[in-house]
Amino acid sequence: MIKIENLSKTYNAGSISVIALNNINLSVKEREFVSIMGPSGSGKSTLMNILGCLDKPTTGVYELDGECVQDMKDDELAVIRNKKIGFIFQSFNLIPRINALKNVELPMIYAGIPAKERRVRAIRALQKVGLEDRMDHNPNELSGGQKQRVAIARSLVNNPSLIFADEPTGNLDTKSGNEIMGIFQRLNEEGATIIMVTHERDIAMHTKRMIVCRDGEIIEDKLVENQIIINSEEGSL
Amino acid sequence: MNILESILVALAAIFSNKLRSLLTMLGIIIGISSVITVVTLGESSQKAIDMEFEQFGAGRAYFSMNWREDYSTKDLLTPDDIDALKRSFAEEIEAIVPYVHERGKAKSKNDWLDVSLTGGDENYIKIEKVDMVSGRYLTVEDVKGKRAVSIIDKEMALEIFGRTNVVGDSLDIEIWGSQVSFIIIGVYEKPKSTLQAMGGQTLGNIFVPYTSLEKITGSGDYYWDFELTLAKGIDTDNVTQKMIRLIERRHGNEGQNKYLMQTAEGELEVINNVTGIITLVIGAIAAISLLVGGIGVMNIMFVSVTERTREIGIRKAIGAKRRDILMQFLVESVIVSGIGGIIGTIIGVGLAFIVSSLIKIPTGVSIGTIAIAWVFSAGVGIFFGIYPANRASKLDPIDALRYE
Repeated sequence: MIKIENLSKTYNAGSISVIALNNINLSVKEREFVSIMGPSGSGKSTLMNILGCLDKPTTGVYELDGECVQDMKDDELAVIRNKKIGFIFQSFNLIPRINALKNVELPMIYAGIPAKERRVRAIRALQKVGLEDRMDHNPNELSGGQKQRVAIARSLVNNPSLIFADEPTGNLDTKSGNEIMGIFQRLNEEGATIIMVTHERDIAMHTKRMIVCRDGEIIEDKLVENQIIINSEEGSL
Repeated sequence: MNILESILVALAAIFSNKLRSLLTMLGIIIGISSVITVVTLGESSQKAIDMEFEQFGAGRAYFSMNWREDYSTKDLLTPDDIDALKRSFAEEIEAIVPYVHERGKAKSKNDWLDVSLTGGDENYIKIEKVDMVSGRYLTVEDVKGKRAVSIIDKEMALEIFGRTNVVGDSLDIEIWGSQVSFIIIGVYEKPKSTLQAMGGQTLGNIFVPYTSLEKITGSGDYYWDFELTLAKGIDTDNVTQKMIRLIERRHGNEGQNKYLMQTAEGELEVINNVTGIITLVIGAIAAISLLVGGIGVMNIMFVSVTERTREIGIRKAIGAKRRDILMQFLVESVIVSGIGGIIGTIIGVGLAFIVSSLIKIPTGVSIGTIAIAWVFSAGVGIFFGIYPANRASKLDPIDALRYE
């Protein structure tokens, strides 16, 4: 599903160039649930941005679903993001003026899906995260956990191959955080491939595989022993 | 994303900032309404002038001595010149008479009224249009017989006789010290004229055979000018040149520039040029306010883009292409300008109606002007929206998502 070979990213800030990622090799298979950990400045965000096709590597190969994306143009990457990737952010990143349903419909608008089908699919996605009764609320009328569930629904609607979550529980209390992790585990059970960036080991323990970055390199890549499982009852969905 | 979605998104953005959108539109509203007012008033006055000329006689012309040049008796126009012109330009000339106008006093019940007398012939009605109310117009016999007959206007009849059924009555007029009785053969009504209405009351005009006026004043051998009406649809400039050449040949003064010919068509062209230039200049000044309004739109679009940087980042992250973002902001700018344009058009047309009714000219709002104004306001939206929209579309999704 994901294959990265000798991937590097260098930022040029004036005369100094900063190496954010140094010759990284990584592969992620379908139905994996991976967490990327590391302190700030470790390069995990850069890696996330490149994996999420928001940024391009300086050198190296990135193969997503059999397609080499490292040399694609911006608009081609936009299509990849739209069709193959679902994003979940720490700060939810919902559009404030429009209600939950419209927010979930948004990726389908850019995919050119007709309005009727959009609505049906958006409602189905909201049902999946247990928020169908809140769909006509604007983001400011929702709690943090609810907002993140809307964001998850939004990430799912175009049936992406991959779901990226960037510190998805960072702005949430423990209970809401557990709910979100429960949803991720369930989605993973149902076949979704999920990659999650976090700096909390507790949260990473909910995933199946843990990758640790430091100074632009992967220093640890192991399967999670004693994975914390949240069953749906406990997640109070 | 299709255009309909862009419009919906733009409308949502506009309505979420009602006051700001309205203030932005205000610039466009003022710009468009002032342009429309000026252009419409310009067109209206042009139309009024055209109508005036139509009434006054679009084919009306004067053939005269060139007063800037010296001339001797042999150069002066003669009755034979009239006959020659009539013969040679039977098709082109509808009516031609020597210019014979006199001032006189008409005897009223207890007073003498200042009147002007116009010498005409049976075709003079083609030179100066009047509506006959009763009686008849001048005839060939009146002219040939140098009859003391007259046609007076209705208001004058009321003034002098206190009634309008005055055909057959006689009117005493004093010209150059001698008193002559003219039999009234007809009563006419002055056509309603905008310029005359604007200029107030004009002097009563009495039409008499020019030959009878000449008889009274003892003139008629030489003339300084002819009045004439040219047929419609002829090449006026060409015919004018030919007429001057004919008269020059008859007097043996070819190329000496002794004669002039002025045509209403030529005058109209000059006036229309002047009003056209005035309209253009004021319109251009008004267009500056439209430009200022456009800059206002651009400014607000920049604010809107900055304010929604994060939204742009979100949209890009979930799959919006550059074009989608560009369209979103461009459509927003066009809608703001477009709505401003529509309101501005309504206000502009309204103002034009008010002003033109105040100065008593007919309003001619042309669809063309309105169409141009709308296209122009949408153009302003595109022109001043493209830069901010382009900047929005170029935002890097990562930076945009980080924007606080």
